[in-house]
Amino acid sequence: MSRAADTGARGSLETVRPRARTGRWTRRNFLGFALIGLAPKTQRAIIGGFADDGHGPGHALRDHSQFPSARRTMKIPVVIVGGGIAGLSAAWRLDKRGFRDFVLLEMHGQAGGNARWGENEITAYPWAAHYVPVPGKTTALVRELFEELGVLRNGVWDDRYLCFSPQERLFLHGRWQEGIEPAVGSTARDREDFSRFGDCIRQFRATGEFTIPMDLGAKPSQLDRLSIAAWLRQERFTSRYLYWYINYACRDDYGALAGDTSAWAGIHYFASRDPEEKGPLTWPEGNGWISRKLLAKLEHYVRTGTMAHRIRREGNRLQVSAGDTDYLADFVIFAAPSFLASHLSDDAPAIPNFVYSPWLTANITLDRLPRAQGMETAWDNVIYDSPALGYVVATHQSLRTHEDRSVWTFYWSLAEGPPAANRRLLLEYDWDWWKAAILADLERAHPDIRNCVSRIDILRLGHAMARPVVGFLESQERRNLINSRGNLLFANADLSGFSIFEEAQYRGIQAAERVLARLGR
Amino acid sequence: MPLLLFVPVALIAACGLIYELIAGTLASYLLGDSVFQFSTVIGSYLFAMGVGSYLSRYIARGLVARFVSIELMVALVGGFSSAALFLAFAYTQGFRLILYALVMIIGVLVGLEIPLLMRILKSRLEFKELVAHVLTFDYLGALAASLLFPILLVPKLGMVRSAVLFGMINAAVALWSMFLFREQLGARVLLRAASVLVLATLGVGMAGAERITEAADNSLYADEVIFARDTRYQRLVLTKWKDDVRLFLNAHLQFSSRDEYRYHEALVHPGLASLAGARRVLVLGGGDGLAVREILKYPTVESITLVDLDPDMTRLFSTHVYLSTLNQHSLTNPRVHVINADAFPWLDQNTGSFDFVVVDFPDPTSYSLGKLYTTAFYRLLARHLSAQGLVVVQGTSPLFARQSYWCIVETLKQAGLRTYPYHVYVPSFGEWGFVLASLAPYEAPMRLPAGLRFLSVHDVPELFRFPNDMLPVDAEPNRLNDQVLVRYYERDWREIAH
Ligand SMILES: Cc1cc2nc3c(=O)[nH]c(=O)nc-3n(C[C@H](O)[C@H](O)[C@H](O)COP(=O)(O)OP(=O)(O)OC[C@H]3O[C@@H](n4cnc5c(N)ncnc54)[C@H](O)[C@@H]3O)c2cc1C
Repeated sequence: MSRAADTGARGSLETVRPRARTGRWTRRNFLGFALIGLAPKTQRAIIGGFADDGHGPGHALRDHSQFPSARRTMKIPVVIVGGGIAGLSAAWRLDKRGFRDFVLLEMHGQAGGNARWGENEITAYPWAAHYVPVPGKTTALVRELFEELGVLRNGVWDDRYLCFSPQERLFLHGRWQEGIEPAVGSTARDREDFSRFGDCIRQFRATGEFTIPMDLGAKPSQLDRLSIAAWLRQERFTSRYLYWYINYACRDDYGALAGDTSAWAGIHYFASRDPEEKGPLTWPEGNGWISRKLLAKLEHYVRTGTMAHRIRREGNRLQVSAGDTDYLADFVIFAAPSFLASHLSDDAPAIPNFVYSPWLTANITLDRLPRAQGMETAWDNVIYDSPALGYVVATHQSLRTHEDRSVWTFYWSLAEGPPAANRRLLLEYDWDWWKAAILADLERAHPDIRNCVSRIDILRLGHAMARPVVGFLESQERRNLINSRGNLLFANADLSGFSIFEEAQYRGIQAAERVLARLGR
Repeated sequence: MPLLLFVPVALIAACGLIYELIAGTLASYLLGDSVFQFSTVIGSYLFAMGVGSYLSRYIARGLVARFVSIELMVALVGGFSSAALFLAFAYTQGFRLILYALVMIIGVLVGLEIPLLMRILKSRLEFKELVAHVLTFDYLGALAASLLFPILLVPKLGMVRSAVLFGMINAAVALWSMFLFREQLGARVLLRAASVLVLATLGVGMAGAERITEAADNSLYADEVIFARDTRYQRLVLTKWKDDVRLFLNAHLQFSSRDEYRYHEALVHPGLASLAGARRVLVLGGGDGLAVREILKYPTVESITLVDLDPDMTRLFSTHVYLSTLNQHSLTNPRVHVINADAFPWLDQNTGSFDFVVVDFPDPTSYSLGKLYTTAFYRLLARHLSAQGLVVVQGTSPLFARQSYWCIVETLKQAGLRTYPYHVYVPSFGEWGFVLASLAPYEAPMRLPAGLRFLSVHDVPELFRFPNDMLPVDAEPNRLNDQVLVRYYERDWREIAH
């Protein structure tokens, strides 16, 4: 999850060699894994369930179910659909420019989207997004927001929000090492590959094409014609550790295997960042902290628990049906995942080639901590060769020297195999099954984990984020969304082809700026 | 058949070596100076084996019976040697005497084994074969033992159990020999009963090893343990040797009652005595109440707030007869307010300002503790300091952990404080470093409270002079997001260990 990205080279990838031989996580292993996880064991009772993941209403949309007709109509110049970072950023921009005639519709009871959060008696915790890399000098909008929120003051980053030491550790060969770059048992060849990869990244960075936001620098590129795994082979990298690392980075950032990720995107991840300060920025509730701060400013525009289910053309206007109201708007900023638009509106472009990665996250409440083994618990804790991504510790940014309890957020991008099949798995298996799988995974590094956990709450995200597959950069569908004329504007992070905080914010603000310009403001 | 004859040779050789290694290791462990201990233990052991070999000529008849009884004696003496040594160290004054006596006894007995065995076997084999085989197996056994000892036995079984285990092997060899040489031996009911008895005794010893190890644990702390408790936060152990009481937190020495006055006078007085009329004082860490004892020597001080994480610690030092005498009942003084809280969040949530702050935390051995040595922590501290106020920070050893010490100084500077580093010699710690830090310039005190045992006014400026081997070295400041200090500290102490 993390990546301090200050080394200039980080990532992961176990799928070097011929696929069949590397013992990847095939469907069969997947089932075997489940059986191990389900093997009866005497253990303490662990409670929990699925968090509200909106599958019900989401599927109602897809299936064009009947929604009750509206009881009132409301004229309003701008409607924002979706209260994730993109939608909230659009609202932030409108409001900051003095434009107040808009509403933001959010389907969930809580806004934030992938940056939503939860809280229990121990700590606040993230549901998904949990960090923002320290923005470089050119990432002006993120800096502007952070100045407003007091994270950046007079050019100095507040050190309570910079991730504390130790940032990352990796469980490798039966012990925890500091940092995620595999070091234990690395050979001279591994180290040489890592350093050569670092050199490549520095060269890519120098081209100025790998920027955040990506729109500012991206040019058509050969690198978008092959996967990052293929690129590594082409460049004659051989270190298994490097492949693991790049594959890990792709699974972690894009929910995709290195073999399914455009080399351009894989490189962007490393080459786009050159932070001035050791980061990343993080909070107990992850990016939920930002959502929270934005909501505090923008609350009165936000209608939660309100799903937009139909967008229809009414003369020059768009009519957005949500709950008991039909909003008649001059402009709609569509900040929900873009693929949904065609389910709501006949005008919206269909984007059948967009791939979305399914994810699962779990908040694990520990009322005692597992036995310490070597290296102290870090913020981001990764288990080598696990199909999941590890866990982030919500109490890490605490000032205390002593913790008895914690909440860990467990991340699992279901990257292996077709996304649609994995989405089915997400829904098919019950909570007990996922609970067992999660515990079995953690048990590799924490044999006593079952005695520590009191709750596991699971969030299933079927279409969690856009996946930057080969060819995404020049995809016509993506261009169509970005340049959509008319008064339906798109804003979700998926316009960038991959989902990170900075892109969500940028796309939201861009849409707001365009609306303001068209309104003559 | 020959293998069955010679395996016991390897086994007894292994046993012999193990007892020798245990004696040497324990002596180094408990007395220090391992080169001396190992040399003398090995020397006397070999010499004793020579004596044993020589004595073997006086055994004329009943060879097998003698051999078996010697095995049983080795089993008992060797098997319990480790336990005996630990207990001797903990409860007697004569550890060395007992050590060498045991080494000699085991040596003589072991010296008897091989000559007797060779004589028992001589009728069965040609002489050159016999010598070759016996010596080969003897050396093989020794090799196995010398490898097993450090890799498996000490880490997995511990000293006490390892010795007992090998005692059992000796006893087993005795039984085996009785069986092998049954024709030579004849029916020896008594001997057989004795073997079984020895084996059983050792078995009981194995089971009771836990208790012995516990008693032995006492001797790890060199002196008698007068108090030991696992609190929620740490393991707290107090030891006493004559008039010297020592406190260990997680096995790190915190003070020795013999010289703690040096540490605590140096911690408090250079700073506090320089402030005219300090009224409000804060002590962070220091739940032993010893710094508070020094602060109470200032009548102007109206209130002392002591913040220590561990309620068991402050309770112990408030109520324990000896300890509350040592801190002169400082923790129950009405001017003192004891708060059990984690210092960083406590400071973060409190607004009071203080004239003098003592920061006496455990060394930065982990990232968790390292947070208490960061720019963020010191900046927060500065916000709780009155305009003329002073902070003093215990800063590890500028001699043994030089870069760590100067890193702490640099960190205080980065937090916007003026720094005045100084050091003092505390015999049980070695050279120890402190840092005074303030917003306003600091000047050394003109007078000190009466009755100090260590500091005098003239000596205070001396403390601020650093000899060449402790002069400043470059160090990055320690920050929450980049805790260099924990890495420096680990490296500094690792270098000392080598
Ligand atoms: C598990 C996970 C971890 C991540 N970690 C990080 C991280 O650490 N750092 C980082 O930078 N990025 C991370 N991301 C990427 C994250 O997606 C982006 O940072 C960002 O939060 C995306 O915001 P968005 O507004 O574009 O989309 P979303 O967050 O998906 O927001 C879309 C919103 O629209 C709402 N919505 C959908 N349909 C409707 C409808 N019909 N009517 C009304 N509302 C609707 C949804 O409920 C949701 O609130 C992570 C993503 C995932 C899945």
